Amino acid sequence: METKEKVYQELDKRYNRLVGTSATNLCTHCGWCIESCHIFKATGNPDHSPVAKAEKVRRVLKRKHDWLSHLFPKWTGAKDLMDGDLDEWVEAAFKNCTLCERCVINCPMGVETPQLLGTARGVLTAMGKSPEILNQLTDAAIAREENMEMMEPFFRKQIANLEKQVQEKMGDSNARIPLSEEADILYVPLSGAHTMIPAAMIFNAAKANWTMSLYEASNYGLFVADIPKAKRIVKRLIKEAEKVKAKTLVVTECGHAYSVLKWEAPKWFGKQFDFEVKSLLEVMDDYIQKGKLDLDPSKNSELVTYHDPCNMGRKGGIFEEPRNVIQASSKEYKEMKPSKVENFCCGGGAGLVACSEWTEDRLLYGSVKVEQIKNTKAKKVVTACDNCLHQIKELGETNDLNISVSNVSEHLANALVFSKS
Amino acid sequence: MDSNSFMHFVEYELQAIALSWMVIIYTIKAVQLSKLPMPWEKEKPKGSGTKGILRSYGSIFMPWSVESSRDNIGRWIGFSLYHIGCLVAIVNTFTYTFTPEIMTPVVKIVFSALIAPAIFIGFAKLYRRLNRPELRHISTPDDYFALLSLQLFFFTGIMALLLDTIFWRSSYYLITAAFLFYVPFSKISHYIYFFFARFLTGKRYGWRGIIPQK
Repeated sequence: METKEKVYQELDKRYNRLVGTSATNLCTHCGWCIESCHIFKATGNPDHSPVAKAEKVRRVLKRKHDWLSHLFPKWTGAKDLMDGDLDEWVEAAFKNCTLCERCVINCPMGVETPQLLGTARGVLTAMGKSPEILNQLTDAAIAREENMEMMEPFFRKQIANLEKQVQEKMGDSNARIPLSEEADILYVPLSGAHTMIPAAMIFNAAKANWTMSLYEASNYGLFVADIPKAKRIVKRLIKEAEKVKAKTLVVTECGHAYSVLKWEAPKWFGKQFDFEVKSLLEVMDDYIQKGKLDLDPSKNSELVTYHDPCNMGRKGGIFEEPRNVIQASSKEYKEMKPSKVENFCCGGGAGLVACSEWTEDRLLYGSVKVEQIKNTKAKKVVTACDNCLHQIKELGETNDLNISVSNVSEHLANALVFSKS
Repeated sequence: MDSNSFMHFVEYELQAIALSWMVIIYTIKAVQLSKLPMPWEKEKPKGSGTKGILRSYGSIFMPWSVESSRDNIGRWIGFSLYHIGCLVAIVNTFTYTFTPEIMTPVVKIVFSALIAPAIFIGFAKLYRRLNRPELRHISTPDDYFALLSLQLFFFTGIMALLLDTIFWRSSYYLITAAFLFYVPFSKISHYIYFFFARFLTGKRYGWRGIIPQK
């Protein structure tokens, strides 16, 4: 009884106009969304269609908020929360949905199924039922900030090693990875060197006034819909941007991190930041358009295709910049079909890549992406999101696609030409 | 009550009461929805919220612009004819009563011809809902009732237009009134939420430069 009351309280907290519109009679159960979902297409399970997933939450919300459902629940399918429902919500919201929004763009009514499932994620987190690993990753990010004094010297040593690698690759002993120093650009990487070395090469080659953050861009608070924690993770970057007097905060190739910093966090904080937020993709494109980088596209000689990460493209609005960068640094490029706003999710989004208990499902959910890649006959897939990167790499290995996978900055860095002087 | 008084009541007073009821309920629902907090975009726009809204509303008329209609053009045609039939049937409830002078035999035939396809499509939709496991899985009694009751509405509308007997006219008006009382509570009221939802989705996608695609 207490559990159910708490669930209803948590639902009430999150019941806004977006949720309310999609939670009532907007959905006509027409089924137009069904074929748009990569997960349903992979499994054929009626419970995996967007409308079926949304109904798990909608029917409980309707019981309270819809008059007819309140009086005659059986007539509209509305229901009170029952034992076992939260476990179904975990499956629907965390395993069987990557919040990719492909169903939203295909719905004739504009039903925001991911809003309903995002609400479920928040409720499940509040009830202690969201996947443990996602909560651990959220807390690890907060712990890093709390222990930065202890971690910073160790981190600086690691970066110094990476700096040497950058210098070797560029043949330039003056190339640097400045760490949290005053600069126009504050670049926020992920924890992997593949998001640091190529970016450093590009910034040095473009002679940018830049510095790298002590923190990483990733924000798993978004995936568990724990907004207070997500805000806390963002706040450390705001503080750092203020400290280094950055005019622009550049987010590495991470879909959800870009989505958080560019679009979601201003809503959480109720205002625009004092600095501009850009994706590394936009910065690289800008450098190429302004002729700041010398490139030899023949260094990337294999046929390349690009996977639009959902958070970058369909939710973030970045479509042309990565294509410009890839085409400028490749010999041959082929577009996936469909692509851009209609691209299919890789199957690993919204934290699913981190949840090892669902690996088999996740790889099955990538079936549509596998077919898309096969149809391009590309030998290399470039993408702009770390979760997509890991997912596509695994899909490539488990489906014998014989492809290499990289992010856009690695691909660009590979084509850089460095002058001897 | 004699038949003339009865007819007058169902054509005028009953319609007025039912229509007023519907407007009041819709207004209450719209106000309730408008009072809910809304997480508006705060970041500087990358695109145009207005263009996004216009595109969002317009996409239903541009089947090539959305995969779900582009790849199922037959379904979109059926959807369009069905909703044209609905619209004409609704318009008919006003013109038939309040502007009978424009309801010439030709107009009645044209109205009937526009409503008739909706009946056939309605049966096709019913078949689809019963036949596809993914739709059966999520369908509720309200879904089936909505389809069947609309079939009755269309049918009595056509019969009233073409035969114009007291039986068919009164049946048509009684069913219309029943609809006006019931629709604000059922899924048929989706057309009211449509305007809210497409505005919100269109504004967000337009603001972020996602639609319209360059």
